Amino acid sequence: MYRRLLINIYQVRNGLIHTQNTRLPSTKCKERESFAPVIWAPCTARPLGTSSISFSENKENSTSLSEDKEKRPEENEAKEEVNTDGQKSTEISNATLTLQLETEPVDKPEDSKQVEKTKSGKESLLELLGAMKVEVTTVRKIRPSKTPRMSERPDQEPMESTHSMFQHATAKGSQQQGTLNPALVAAVSAAASTLPNRHQAESELLKQLRKHEAVPDTQRRADGQNIGHIIADMKVGGRKTNGRSSARPTSQIRFDDDGKGYTQDRGITGELDAVRRRKSPFTSKRLNIFTAGMEQDTLSVLGPTLWDIDLANQIVQATNQAPRNGFEEMIQWTKEGKLWQYPINNEAGLEEEASVPFHEHVFLEKHLDESFPRQGPVRHFMELVITGLAKNHHLTVQQKKEHIDWFRDYFRQKDDVLKEAEA
Amino acid sequence: MASSCSQALRHHVCKSSRILQEIVIPKKKTWSKEAVLQALASTVNRDPTASDYRFQDDPYLTPKTSSEFKLFSLSQESGRNAAKYFISTYPKYFQKDYAQPHIPCLMPETLEAQIEEVSEAALIERIQMRKVKAAVDLYDQLQQAGTPVSLDVTNQLLDLICFYGDCDPAQENVPEQRNEETEDVQDEPQTKKGRASKASDKLKAAWKENNNAERIFALLSEPNTHSYSALIRGMVKYGAYSKAFSTYTDLLNNQLKADVSTFNALITAAPEVKEKYNEKWELIVDLLKQMAEQKVKPNLLTLNAVLKALRRCGTVGKSQAFPVISEMRALSIDPSLASYNHLLSIFYKPGAPFQGQTDILQEVMNEVSGKSFTPQDPDDAQFFITAVRICLDTKDIEQAYRVHELLGVGENWRLLGNDFQQNIYHARFFSLLCMMENIDVVLKWYRDLVPSVYYPSSNVMRDLLQVLDTDNRLDLIPQIWKDLKQLGHGNRQTLVEELLTLMAREKQNQEVQETFAECALDIKKMYDTGDRGKVMMSWTAGSLSDLVSVLLAAQRRQDAWEILKLFKTHNRVPSEELLDKFLTCIKESGDVNQALELVQISAGFCLPGTPKLIQRVQQEFLLSEQQKSMLSDLEIQTFNSD
Repeated sequence: MYRRLLINIYQVRNGLIHTQNTRLPSTKCKERESFAPVIWAPCTARPLGTSSISFSENKENSTSLSEDKEKRPEENEAKEEVNTDGQKSTEISNATLTLQLETEPVDKPEDSKQVEKTKSGKESLLELLGAMKVEVTTVRKIRPSKTPRMSERPDQEPMESTHSMFQHATAKGSQQQGTLNPALVAAVSAAASTLPNRHQAESELLKQLRKHEAVPDTQRRADGQNIGHIIADMKVGGRKTNGRSSARPTSQIRFDDDGKGYTQDRGITGELDAVRRRKSPFTSKRLNIFTAGMEQDTLSVLGPTLWDIDLANQIVQATNQAPRNGFEEMIQWTKEGKLWQYPINNEAGLEEEASVPFHEHVFLEKHLDESFPRQGPVRHFMELVITGLAKNHHLTVQQKKEHIDWFRDYFRQKDDVLKEAEA
Repeated sequence: MASSCSQALRHHVCKSSRILQEIVIPKKKTWSKEAVLQALASTVNRDPTASDYRFQDDPYLTPKTSSEFKLFSLSQESGRNAAKYFISTYPKYFQKDYAQPHIPCLMPETLEAQIEEVSEAALIERIQMRKVKAAVDLYDQLQQAGTPVSLDVTNQLLDLICFYGDCDPAQENVPEQRNEETEDVQDEPQTKKGRASKASDKLKAAWKENNNAERIFALLSEPNTHSYSALIRGMVKYGAYSKAFSTYTDLLNNQLKADVSTFNALITAAPEVKEKYNEKWELIVDLLKQMAEQKVKPNLLTLNAVLKALRRCGTVGKSQAFPVISEMRALSIDPSLASYNHLLSIFYKPGAPFQGQTDILQEVMNEVSGKSFTPQDPDDAQFFITAVRICLDTKDIEQAYRVHELLGVGENWRLLGNDFQQNIYHARFFSLLCMMENIDVVLKWYRDLVPSVYYPSSNVMRDLLQVLDTDNRLDLIPQIWKDLKQLGHGNRQTLVEELLTLMAREKQNQEVQETFAECALDIKKMYDTGDRGKVMMSWTAGSLSDLVSVLLAAQRRQDAWEILKLFKTHNRVPSEELLDKFLTCIKESGDVNQALELVQISAGFCLPGTPKLIQRVQQEFLLSEQQKSMLSDLEIQTFNSD
């Protein structure tokens, strides 16, 4: 029941926002939003009076409200169709909620016409209720007692809290139905019949109603927020038995935590998606022929066979290999070896020198050892030569060696001259 | 002091050692040769206003119609082929190597065998050059000479023979040429022809009894797995399915194991050797079980072969396709686009009614969307066409958008296939758009796709006209006409007539009427000139009267009058309403002489409405005596002729 109520409230508020969006100019939006806490109140067991101010403010939009009144149940109906586990009762309680909201401001102006209007509204609502499968929520229990009361005393000062209004209402109700109203009892049993264990639910409902009468007026004023408790109690009763209660726990949690009290993203499509994802055929059972960690017997692999080459060729032919822009064409050329490779590091063009370490380039003294004199001008000259070669990055190591070898030969040929000069 | 100092030092060392531990030297990143170019290429987006990159060299050669596109792309390719042919045929003229460093692919290929003597090396050379006949002859010579040939080389020879079905390969062609015959049929639902030609290629050569492959195989003293594999694959490729299976039994009798490719070939052949769906599937399962027994790990091609075989297993396919995929997933073989293509084909048979299967496409799209695929199977390129066909059949625009989105991910565009397939894909996608979307969206796509990637056929253009009609945006017609003309559909009579009808049907505001009139005159030119070599369109009464009414609506009486004369020259009869309309128009300008001429024309056609026209002229115009008498003469004439 609690869950249903939550849904109701969620829907009513959605409806409110909907009407805001569609019908009301933005100035009235704020006043409208202040509705929300009022409806919010019963389910959180917050004192109901917190937002009574909003009621007084609502006086101004009473006309627009009464217009809304016609519209809203329809909206709720529409919503309910969308809702997957929507129940008839949501509609009823929605209607009662809206009525509860609307009658009050409407009644306040001292206008008999208005009162009549409310009454007719109430009548139509009752008709609506009659047409539905009767399920009574706690809110409804309050309503029949409260609304006549409201219409009786239209002069009520606007600042009075809703809390006290509820108190008045229930007090009046208890006066009116010294013993429980037979219609109410019938309604309770009808409501209980929808629950799996009807007797428990029925007795619980009736007990709650009787409790209201037993409690003295003053005391009841003190813990008037018991409406919340009542609902909470009923939730427990319903939870135990209702198999479907776990159907949307997530939405409930979100509802409670979320400041807005509703979640718009959770549409029917979302739920359907979730259903689909669960049933994705790609996660279906497997054939169980192979074992996962199977080791393959290594066959002698002789590189690509003709078949492999053909497969690759077929794939290339089947796909679109045409370049889309100049760069892609250059990639193609690079792969074919037609294009100079674009440098990707500092070693571009080092193919033949790639395997030669740097010290081979820099430390060239070892090439001077054997055939050059240990000292003297030739040695000095050659040291200069290798210093120059060590800094030359244009030559390969091989070329540097050849360079040194050339000098070796040269000095060997000029050996006589050198000896003559005693160098 | 010292101790504190050392302590501090130790502390410092500890710290630094801890820091040292934390340093992770990154691994050297090796970039591919194309890394920079790939990065650069990824910065270039498609320009919807430009033509394909292939045609950007020369603006003169920018294709404007699908036939031009075909011609230009093929001529580029055939030019390359011709050059290659000459280089390879006359290698002696192309020996100078200018490139530094040497570029092997620019040098002529050697097509003649270099080794003349009878040896194993010569055999290897002939195998590499794919000369089937020469290789077989040489093998025989070697056998006669008593020279033993190693098993590996013999297996290679078997591969070669089996691959080409014991025939010398035809001159190798480059991809584009293959499409020549299929691309001619662009306006038709092509798939049939495309497939037929492919099938005919395959059936050209059949496996012959006791051909060289079997003969050489029989000569082998100890054939191994590779030999059997070559033989079985060859048999399957050339349609000797039952023979392939008996060879496989032979292999098992010799205590050998088959390899993956053998099993893949056998799975492909499975639906051919059995009749009933159940039997086919049982055979496949049997093969898979034998694979598991012989510890052969399946690969992606196995998965695709099984799925492809399931396409021919009717309802069994539907129930078994997903378990097969799950099985392969468990072996960490991820399906490629070809697998999904087979899957879609299993569930959506072309021409069959679709009930409740739309979500299979959705499931598949959930699986693939956002992923980038690399080509792994020749059938990969079929996926997009199949997917968009299903979207078109089920009118599922949402999934079509997802398919199109997938095409933009990574390198997936390559998997759309060749030009021909691209055309099919875009045609289907665009038809679906025309069917499902409103005109603004359709036009957005139209400007994006046409003509940079897609040259719509006349049928698709008619769809577009229908969209214009339904969304009441007929004012766009002159624009579309320009495109039509450019796309080479200006001489499609049905299309042009439809265009004229649409323009003539309703009265638009003055500005639009003006553009309509211009457009109509342009269309008239199309009728008059008729491009060289193209089919001339002939005027019909309907198209002429549509033309006249468009011109009249734009207050172009003189132009309309010219067209009216065309009725006579082309032996067409105008309708009475048209003449009536014309008369109303003449009346506005008060040109009595033209009114009389109109009546005369009407009388000339012996239209039954002529007396009415005469009456109108008599009543509505100020006539001179002479004119009056002329009219009464006409009246008598028509009366008499009746």
